[in-house]
Amino acid sequence: MPCMELSLATRTVAAHTVLDVVGEVDVYTAPKLRDRLTELLEAGTRALVVDLSRVEFLDSTGLGVLVGGLRRSRNLGGSFGLVCGQESLLKVFRITALDQVLPLYPTIEAATGQASDGGR
Amino acid sequence: MVRSRDAGFPPAAAGRAGLPPVPSQGAGHQGIPVQRPAPADERILEVLLVEDDEGDFVIVEELLKDVPDRVRLRWARSLSEARELLDGVDCVLLDLGLPDTVGLDGLRRLHEHAVRVPIVVLTGLNDEAQGVAAMGSGAQDYLVKGTVTGRLLIRTIRYAIQRSHVDDVESALLEERLRAAENARLERGLLPRPIVADPRLVVVPRYQPGGGRMLLGGDFYDVVEDAAGAVHMIIGDVAGHGPDQAALGVALRIAWRALVLAGRPAAEILATMDRVLSHERHEDLLFATVCTASITPARDEVSIFAAGHPPPLLATPDGWRQITLSGGPALGLLDDASWRPTRVALPPGWRMLLFTDGLIEGLDSEASGDRERLGVDGLLRLLPAGAADAEALDALVAAVTERNGGPLTDDLALLLIAANPPAPSGGSA
Repeated sequence: MPCMELSLATRTVAAHTVLDVVGEVDVYTAPKLRDRLTELLEAGTRALVVDLSRVEFLDSTGLGVLVGGLRRSRNLGGSFGLVCGQESLLKVFRITALDQVLPLYPTIEAATGQASDGGR
Repeated sequence: MVRSRDAGFPPAAAGRAGLPPVPSQGAGHQGIPVQRPAPADERILEVLLVEDDEGDFVIVEELLKDVPDRVRLRWARSLSEARELLDGVDCVLLDLGLPDTVGLDGLRRLHEHAVRVPIVVLTGLNDEAQGVAAMGSGAQDYLVKGTVTGRLLIRTIRYAIQRSHVDDVESALLEERLRAAENARLERGLLPRPIVADPRLVVVPRYQPGGGRMLLGGDFYDVVEDAAGAVHMIIGDVAGHGPDQAALGVALRIAWRALVLAGRPAAEILATMDRVLSHERHEDLLFATVCTASITPARDEVSIFAAGHPPPLLATPDGWRQITLSGGPALGLLDDASWRPTRVALPPGWRMLLFTDGLIEGLDSEASGDRERLGVDGLLRLLPAGAADAEALDALVAAVTERNGGPLTDDLALLLIAANPPAPSGGSA
């Protein structure tokens, strides 16, 4: 089975650091995501949005990494949001009840607070 | 510490005795390779001499000019200088009488600093015993000054490097064996023998590590029949992979078994396991999904709890379907979580399959889309209509693996339970 690559890139949107995640987050690629999140938080990122819109698959290892990111971010007094619109991923969040724990937003605008209050 | 001259090396000329004269092109000062008519493909050996006596440095340099090997000699006058020059060194020649160390202390400190670099100790004629002791403290070999020829020196260096490579391979092998034993222990802990007395019940568990046996995960299962005849089962998955997750899986399984054997109600069991997980996990981001099912003593109803876990599949005369239920959160996520049971009637000839997501998250190579996952729907299509035995379960895992196009990435646990099995001699309808 060929391994799918995971690509990660950061950009800044409305004073938030957005981490674009593209590909599949599984047992092989999850460490890469975890390391990047750690790196960003250690570098002082306190308003972090992880954009999962182009993630095709997320397994329990990946869920663990996201929960870890949220906890670490909160411990540092930062904000942590996830952008996720696709039903396949939302189902995974719902079945584990992680939708009650992780702040999920349908769009980048919503996650960075631009949609709700007209943008800051 | 300065030794008397008689403990030093013989004059350089003595080291050359018997060897053909070689043109000496190299300037021979620190960092410049000593030019040799050596095989062109041979890598230059990087040797670091830690020696406070310049006379002895010159002697070593001369000795190394007489060998056909390509050697680059670095020179440190003290241990602290040596630490700065260790990068890329193949072998260290260490004088035991340095100004900033006493006895074997320097060897130990250098060895700690560069565990993988072989060290050959240089001793004087009067303290050869110290060379022997040095080998017990991490040195690969020792040489007695005044008795060393170029040939002996380079051979000792090469043997030291060779032996240290062998040591590396051996310790890697040992590490590998220890890891395999550790995995086997954890796997045994994750996979218990079901405690079921009822001869009418068929219970078939399966566990398969992910990544072709390389990835031990935190999947676990257990089955216990209580004193009243009710049969309780659990299947679970600690998020992530590795020995920590596996150990946590074992802890959760034992907690569940103890609580069931103690006769605690199912809802309380999940809440207690939630607390156990919070206390037992070593990092606060570990969580686990579990599904528990309790079958009545009459075997006519099952009560199911799902904590972030996919619900079981049930076969009735109409075929296989996934039980619909409202699950609660995974364990270790929320502070005040609670779970409610879903009760499902069991018709005669029922069969139930509890599974972890490893079974449904493989690829479906026959799906129309690229890299589509098997999912529950795909799994339902692969399930044999009739059989409920070990062979059927093995066939299912084989079919899922084939669809994936190779060994499954994730580990998986399965628990098949059936009542009123067909007569042993009969078919599997």
